[in-house]
Amino acid sequence: MSTSVKRVYGYLAEFESASALYKGAEKVRDAGFKKWDCYSPYPIHGMDDAMGMRRSILPYFVFFGGSTGLLTGFSLAYITQVMIYPTVVQAKPANIFTTSAFFPIMFELTILFSGFTVLFCLLGLMGLPRLNHPLFASRQFHRATDDGFFIAVEARDPNFSPEDTKELLAAAGGTNIELVEEED
Amino acid sequence: MAHHVTSKDLPVNGEKVKSSDLALPKLISLIVFVLGAVASFFLFTDKTFGDGYSYSWLFAFMFFISLALGGCFWTTLHNVTNSGWGVSVRRLMENLGFVFPFMAVIAIPLMLPSVQNDLYEWMETHRDVASKYIDEDGTVHENDRHQIVTLAHHAHVKEKKVEHGAYTSPNADTFKAAHESLLATKSWYMNLPFWLGRVIGFFLLLGAGIWIQRKVSINQDTDPNPTCDRLIWTRKASCLIMPVFAVVATFIALDFMMALDYKWFSTMYGVYFFAGCALNSMAVLILTLTWLRSKGYLQTVASKEHYHIMGKLMHAFVIFWAYVSFSQFMLIWYANITEETTYFILRNTGEWWGWSLSLTFGHFALPFVLLLPHYVKKTTKFIVPVCLYLLAYHFIDLYIAVIPERGVSLTHGESLFVEHSAYLGDIVAFFTVGAFFVFMFLRNIGSANTYPNRDPRILESANLHN
Repeated sequence: MSTSVKRVYGYLAEFESASALYKGAEKVRDAGFKKWDCYSPYPIHGMDDAMGMRRSILPYFVFFGGSTGLLTGFSLAYITQVMIYPTVVQAKPANIFTTSAFFPIMFELTILFSGFTVLFCLLGLMGLPRLNHPLFASRQFHRATDDGFFIAVEARDPNFSPEDTKELLAAAGGTNIELVEEED
Repeated sequence: MAHHVTSKDLPVNGEKVKSSDLALPKLISLIVFVLGAVASFFLFTDKTFGDGYSYSWLFAFMFFISLALGGCFWTTLHNVTNSGWGVSVRRLMENLGFVFPFMAVIAIPLMLPSVQNDLYEWMETHRDVASKYIDEDGTVHENDRHQIVTLAHHAHVKEKKVEHGAYTSPNADTFKAAHESLLATKSWYMNLPFWLGRVIGFFLLLGAGIWIQRKVSINQDTDPNPTCDRLIWTRKASCLIMPVFAVVATFIALDFMMALDYKWFSTMYGVYFFAGCALNSMAVLILTLTWLRSKGYLQTVASKEHYHIMGKLMHAFVIFWAYVSFSQFMLIWYANITEETTYFILRNTGEWWGWSLSLTFGHFALPFVLLLPHYVKKTTKFIVPVCLYLLAYHFIDLYIAVIPERGVSLTHGESLFVEHSAYLGDIVAFFTVGAFFVFMFLRNIGSANTYPNRDPRILESANLHN
């Protein structure tokens, strides 16, 4: 006989429709939860507000990523074309003003670095890629990609309590409330 | 989110700006215009500030017509893309666009031969050249044209030989022959009747286009049984008006500004002018929206979200302006062809150089960074200074597109500038045309409801969220 230790991930509650999910989310938000999420087959307009989500910090990363790209492009053009190996074409000067020919490169590198920053910081902030998610242990959760609307409140949230959270989800309109456990 | 707006929140007959709110600004602008028009009459005829007043007038005309053209653009774009977000502010776009046909009044002085002689050298020589190379029935003498080009070439080469290889500038006669043959080649396009026909066509075609869109929109306001018919009709009509706008905006830039130097050409000039139109008319729309909201109008239907979208569009056009103007500069700089570089050589000489360079940072880099954060776009105390700043830079942008030509044209290349008092003329013309523009804009605002209150999508726009 083998025993396995299981850890409580949190409560999963099903909601009837997108609007029920929206109203339920507002209740969970007002109860002060931070570690929780909504799951629906499609994006729901205004859900960010209903969940009380703050603006992402991603734009700040992207700004510095883009600035790095700009500086890289400028350095690349200036160091090679002015300092190390000036290429004189049509008697045009090789000085700081030559760099106008390399604006496209600076522009492209700004875009490229911004794009990379968006992609990798986004993945980092979302904690992706990952091999598994504890919610996959729930049988009903598979419907989240089809016709199911769910709210999952995690046990790591300081407001979490085994009884009160369950009642809150029920009061918010959740059905089939299930305690999801993950294998340790 | 704020309170959800329903049809109960909107007055049945819509909202109109009280005439007491408009009376004073209208009166002031009318007085300024009348005084300025009288002053302009003397400046055109007496040349108190020197010969350059035609250029001052052209500059002021181009500045304010660009704002009106932008109004036409945003109205048509809104309809052609079937947009819902901007129904609340669409009437502002229509009012701004409908200033365009009235700008024909400002174009009248540009029809005077004395003004044309100052501005457009080719008009002066046009008749002369036409009589040389074109028959009375309108056929161009191909052989003669080739001959004159060949002669001009030979004269140039011969002159060089005499100097034993050392390069000398061609003498005045060779220059003239070369230019006249160039003008003869272009005379199918650059001739007075066709130019005049085009100018009249611009105002008639696009004037009708913006008039009909505004008319249909205003009729909806009082329709007891408003349906989607007008919405769909305007959507279809705007598909025809959009190409008209594109052609008119492009050729206004070509025929009024590029024609200042008939030897020069740039295929990007039209789109460069258009970028300024769209960007700065959006700044005017934001300022107008703020002014009307400060007077208590448009409170229920317009919100921060509209400011956000309008700010985003303005931001997009800051980038588009930079993209187009830089492309134009870089392609000409790279190719280094004599006919093309003249434009930038003139604008990179002397005092113009600093202003040209400042466009890179002042017209693009700074507003680009300023408009990045969302709260700048949403908060009036931030976006209003940015709009005013952009308009100020639009002033500089068009100023160095038009005015540098004044010195070299009027002094026949002797000097970069005419007398310094010419700048006073720039100010007089700017305020005169500006007062006319403001007066017509206010008249349009006062003549209709502030928003299309019976548009099927007014509630969608009022509850905008992005």
